[in-house]
Amino acid sequence: MKKISLTVNGQSVTADIPARTQLADFLRDNQLLTGTHIGCEHGICGACTVMIDGAPARSCITYAVACEGAEVTTVEGLDDDPIAEELRRAFQEQHGLQCGYCTPGMMVTARDIVRRFPDADETRIRHELSGNLCRCTGYVGIVRAIRQVIEARRRNGASDGFTARSELGPVGSGHAAANAAEAVAKPAEAVKPVATKARKSAASGDKAASGPRPLNEMQRSLRISGPREQVWEQFEDIAALARCMPGAHVSEIDEAGRMIGVMRVKFGPISAAFDGEADNERVEDAYRGKLFGTGRDQRTGTRVTAEVDYALHEADGGGATDVAISVRYGLSGALAQFARGGLVEDFADRLAQQFAGNLERMLSGEQPATGDGDAGNAGNDVNAVSLVLGVLGARLRRFFNRLLGRG
Amino acid sequence: MKPAPFEYARAGSIKEASELLARDDITARILAGGQSLGPMLNLRLAQPDLLVDITGIPDLVAAERDGDSLYLGACVSHANVEDGRIPDVTNGALAEVARGIAYRAVRNRGTIGGSLAHCDPAADWPCVLPALGARAVVQGANDKREVAVEELMQAPFEPGLEPGEILAGLRIPAMSPDARWGYYKYCRKTGEFAEAIAAVAWDPARGFARIVIGALDTLPIVLGDNERLFGDTPERKPFDTYRPEEADRMLTDAGVRDPLKRQVHMVALRRALEFASA
Amino acid sequence: MEQGVGARLLRKEDDRYLRGRGQYVADIKLPGTREVAFLRSPLAHARIGDIDIPEDFANRVFTARDLKGVTPIRAVSALPGFKPSDQPPLAEGKVRQVGEPIAMCLGDTRAEAEDVAAAVMVDFEELPAVHDMLQARRPGAALVHEEWGDNVFLETFVDDDIDAAAAKAAVKVTREYRTARQCMAPIEGRAVLAYWDSRMEVLTVYTSTQMPHIVRTGLSECLGLSEENIRVIPPDVGGGFGYKGILLAEEVCLCWLAMQTGHPVRWIEDRREHLTASANCREHHYRITAYADSNGKLLALDAEATVDSGAYSAYPFSACLEAAQVASILPGPYDFEAYRCRTYSVATNKCPILPFRGVARTGVCFAMELTLDAIARELGIEPAEVRLANLVKPGQMPFDNITKKHFDSGDYPEALRRAVAAVDIPAWRKRQAEGEKDGRLIGIGMSIFCEQGAHGTSVYAGWGIPMVPGHEQAGVRMTPDGGLEIRVGVHSHGQSMETTLAQVAHEVLGIDTARIKIVHGDTGLTPYSTGTWGSRSMVMAGGGVATACEQLGDRIKAIAAHLLQAKPEDLRIAGGQVFSGDSSIALNDIARLWYRKPQDLPPDVDTSGLEVTAGYKPKRDSGTFSYAAHAAVIALDPELGDTEILDYVIVEDGGVLVNPMVVDGQVHGGTVQGIGTALYEEMPFDESGQPLASTLADYILPGAAEMPDIRIEHMETPSPYTRFGVKGIGESGAIGPPAAIANAINDALRPLGAEVTDTPMTPRRVLEAIAKAKGTEGEGGQA
Repeated sequence: MKKISLTVNGQSVTADIPARTQLADFLRDNQLLTGTHIGCEHGICGACTVMIDGAPARSCITYAVACEGAEVTTVEGLDDDPIAEELRRAFQEQHGLQCGYCTPGMMVTARDIVRRFPDADETRIRHELSGNLCRCTGYVGIVRAIRQVIEARRRNGASDGFTARSELGPVGSGHAAANAAEAVAKPAEAVKPVATKARKSAASGDKAASGPRPLNEMQRSLRISGPREQVWEQFEDIAALARCMPGAHVSEIDEAGRMIGVMRVKFGPISAAFDGEADNERVEDAYRGKLFGTGRDQRTGTRVTAEVDYALHEADGGGATDVAISVRYGLSGALAQFARGGLVEDFADRLAQQFAGNLERMLSGEQPATGDGDAGNAGNDVNAVSLVLGVLGARLRRFFNRLLGRG
Repeated sequence: MKPAPFEYARAGSIKEASELLARDDITARILAGGQSLGPMLNLRLAQPDLLVDITGIPDLVAAERDGDSLYLGACVSHANVEDGRIPDVTNGALAEVARGIAYRAVRNRGTIGGSLAHCDPAADWPCVLPALGARAVVQGANDKREVAVEELMQAPFEPGLEPGEILAGLRIPAMSPDARWGYYKYCRKTGEFAEAIAAVAWDPARGFARIVIGALDTLPIVLGDNERLFGDTPERKPFDTYRPEEADRMLTDAGVRDPLKRQVHMVALRRALEFASA
Repeated sequence: MEQGVGARLLRKEDDRYLRGRGQYVADIKLPGTREVAFLRSPLAHARIGDIDIPEDFANRVFTARDLKGVTPIRAVSALPGFKPSDQPPLAEGKVRQVGEPIAMCLGDTRAEAEDVAAAVMVDFEELPAVHDMLQARRPGAALVHEEWGDNVFLETFVDDDIDAAAAKAAVKVTREYRTARQCMAPIEGRAVLAYWDSRMEVLTVYTSTQMPHIVRTGLSECLGLSEENIRVIPPDVGGGFGYKGILLAEEVCLCWLAMQTGHPVRWIEDRREHLTASANCREHHYRITAYADSNGKLLALDAEATVDSGAYSAYPFSACLEAAQVASILPGPYDFEAYRCRTYSVATNKCPILPFRGVARTGVCFAMELTLDAIARELGIEPAEVRLANLVKPGQMPFDNITKKHFDSGDYPEALRRAVAAVDIPAWRKRQAEGEKDGRLIGIGMSIFCEQGAHGTSVYAGWGIPMVPGHEQAGVRMTPDGGLEIRVGVHSHGQSMETTLAQVAHEVLGIDTARIKIVHGDTGLTPYSTGTWGSRSMVMAGGGVATACEQLGDRIKAIAAHLLQAKPEDLRIAGGQVFSGDSSIALNDIARLWYRKPQDLPPDVDTSGLEVTAGYKPKRDSGTFSYAAHAAVIALDPELGDTEILDYVIVEDGGVLVNPMVVDGQVHGGTVQGIGTALYEEMPFDESGQPLASTLADYILPGAAEMPDIRIEHMETPSPYTRFGVKGIGESGAIGPPAAIANAINDALRPLGAEVTDTPMTPRRVLEAIAKAKGTEGEGGQA
């Protein structure tokens, strides 16, 4: 729990709250100011918009602890505000509200528009309203209401002498002294619920058949020096293969040759640890096989399925081996459910390429570049930085070469 | 959704923050404005043990003219830039770009350094700052370094910061009075993630020209001082020898295999160039 | 000031909302409340293996195994061949959609409840998912409900002979259309707060619903608890649009848990749950062939429609309502002779589908109006001319169309002519021909439709779903100080009924609307009603209120007759007074007398008192038919595919308007939702059934900056069958825009030879259409 003190609608308040408490929840649950509504909790719909230090801000993606010493005003605090009073009348006259759920956030934003843009036209009003969603009115009444207030104030020569906030930095910040010491005492891990039992496998039952159909695919071909028979033997060591997967950690190989382990990846602020299992199905005579793995990240509720088909062909008259690999993977759960899947695909492609690169090094007798087989803690997560330098660096180099006329 | 539990620390100095961030027994994330991190925390996609709030560090909310450049502390907010609370050294470019970032309520808390360090390819600053030739000032517990912003960004969502390092600020070169810039961001809806971003800057007096193509699935493409793209003499209108086929090839190289997507990026680029040339 | 029917009365409910004093479910505080988070399926189709609950949380996690005595939600239809689906409130055996609830987890706060849910582990054996309705119909597709043998909830046929008519056609056009799966996205999601009231022995459920009485019936069926022991209260509700017209699995779960634990429990749906786990809407596919003569007069229509109904039949509307409606309303406002239509309601591994504002009409209007434009292009005549050649004419009213829909009144061609005049098509055609400086293409499009509202017993009895509307009751009660309380079982969540029903009462009794209080929804206080849906509340509850007020008026007159020494039939009520010639007595004096001075009443007074519950049904229960013509002018950027709306005009006939301001608000809001359908909203899925939008950054709702100011003109043709001549109009706005905008886009694209046929008409789809026309589509394109 964290002790916080701030000003809410002109009153000083102090409370003990968990650090993760959204400002909106603090206002609603702790201060019983339920006029601030929650509509999305990712900063888009605007229903939770309140004023912090006199300027509108999202109370769902602002944490109460970050507002130490700040001045917060909610819709309830606008009862006696003259601009809000004009807006209330105009909203009523222009039918600028129906169900009322977006209305508190609209009032805060509308008031800000009236203050900052005394000359706003309809286009400006609509642009400035873009961060507040209304599903009922089609915005027609809201825009007309704000326009009515702005025009009336212009006619009356009314102005509240608005000047932009002069302090630099995010609203809500800069009011309080440091408090670092307290936080460092205890890593938060201790309060996180953890599974009490170690899990054996993510996908029970008939392994390959039970997995989701992988959706994304990349292919790569490697030439390894050494005869096919020798490379084929190396492909028998599933643990060694697994170690080529960045972030993979093998904890156990069962009697059936199935591998149990975890794969940790880090994608910006997102860290995931995929607990899972992998199997290696070999078609001996044909020198081909399939690695099949499934994993689940308990934290984000994401599941991944990956298949690596490999086929070995003799090359260079038997002195070398061509290894054709094709990596397919599928994601389900939280990390899969975004429209910007291209970013995740780009990341996964880089992982797959890294795997291929490591495989090449392993088969050539070198150590994989990343993917410490015994990596167990957060510090050894696969960091995309190291991971992508090879891939992306090449791209950048190409651009700059072309740029400098050396391409 | 509500975030998984985390601890919160408000750092009083860069050194203090740096020490917290350097710890290897916990996962710590910097909280600058939190306008990108907040949603990820609430969705439980990001589950750090500790948030280190750096917005109270005085050095990080500075804005001052420093010779031929402007120094901006990392925690200057988008709204600060939009409202002209910082000296204008870019012929209005920074303020104009700031005005188009997300929504005002987000701009009041979101910060320029936070946005850059988030390295979202579809965000504004990661595209604009390279176009302006900005440099990132990176500070650790003991040492300080400067690096071009495009080199700071190493992959989507991955800034090249060592453990304990913080993006402390930005050094933005002052444009000459007759320098030109252009910015074109295409979003399906105001304030949402961009489908295409192009930023261009041309400053003949300084011999500086840049093109940035952003909103890809990878980091923005940054191009500079290339005769084949930009024309070779200061007397010419900027970019009038621009060769679209080169840009198209670069997009293909950057992994944009879909021709319609390339088309949209190319249109954005052409319009940014037209804006700068107008 | 005018306050009665037709007055632009400002809303009584506004002040509390404007001051943040509304009370939504999440705002209600009850001591001892614990929060619920649901553990939901990450997979679209899988068998559930072990569910591993950490020991620490053993008494805070509940799964299907715990829900003893709770029966699955079952929404059947009496239509022949319908296959019912059982929806267990918590998944049993297998999950059939992403987001299906598997376990209910308790915490002191929502965050803690989510911590618990995150610690529960479920083993799954993933099964192939059915993610597309057309593939779902093919042999060999994976089965959502194995016992069915296929994936079809219901197949319907209208099998007229069209060959003879088709043979005479001068032109034949065939098109396929798709409307995307959408989320209804009220800004407040669903929310439930349940507790057992031990004094009353009543399960009390606050829930964000449009149909509290139906929810009570559904809860009773699932929980085995008789209805008098259940009270459902919808407090302020932050928008519905159809999304809140359902019995939720979560409602059943929370009620069970409240009875089990003895303390209040609460679940607030978050946006992620709304987008990925809860009911969707709108996903249709059409294959249509239209036959017309050389003037564009339709001769025959041959259609096949498929509706993606999702994994379960939602209660009470069922999985077949949407497709059944498609078959019956596809002919639209047009008069033609030959019609064939086959529909399929298909099960997929996606959320159940629910009727969204406009229900099937939005898709139907899209399919029909694009087809008419295709005919117009084929024949080279103005789209308006093709419509005028086919619209039912005012002289034909009332008119029974080819599917036996009974159009009550109106002048459809006039609405279209006015819309055409309002956008000034010749001026735009000129500008279109001259070309825009910025290279954009101008397009003009229109659509016209009629909307059956307040359809009643005969229509729903035919479908045989769990809910058939009958008579609508309203209770009115005069208070001892002369105010009026009105009780209705419909619920207002943006429709402004706290104002408009007061206007109806004022129209009858003349009581100042400031003294009229509307109590709505609460099953403990209001008469039974199927609730607010289907553009029915003003017609039905309005009629009920008027009838009850008239009967109350008769009782008031009986007392006043004594006081004024006159005959009741010679009295009239106006302005809060009862008049007999020049003498009068105030209503509040009558109320005071009745309640507080009964000693002054005559000994033979009617003892019924100043409280009346009365029922109402229109003279015909086949529904009112409002109608509208929409006209859109757009500018299309052929390089980016982006569409900007330059002008948007609606000519609307909703019969007699009770409050024109409120009607405009309904039309504006519906229209922007329709623009969302047209240009933005889409819930995409990948092949494994994963929904690909879990935030409002992925699922784009219309914002203020991109929306036009909408112009509305009214016609007011009374319905011959309803009190005051009102017609249902609440859904209308959402029906016309996708068709009008698509036709405008296709008009703009005409020089390029391109055509869009699917919603939303994203920049991407427009660019693909252009590329297809140029023959340059290709390499690795993706939506």
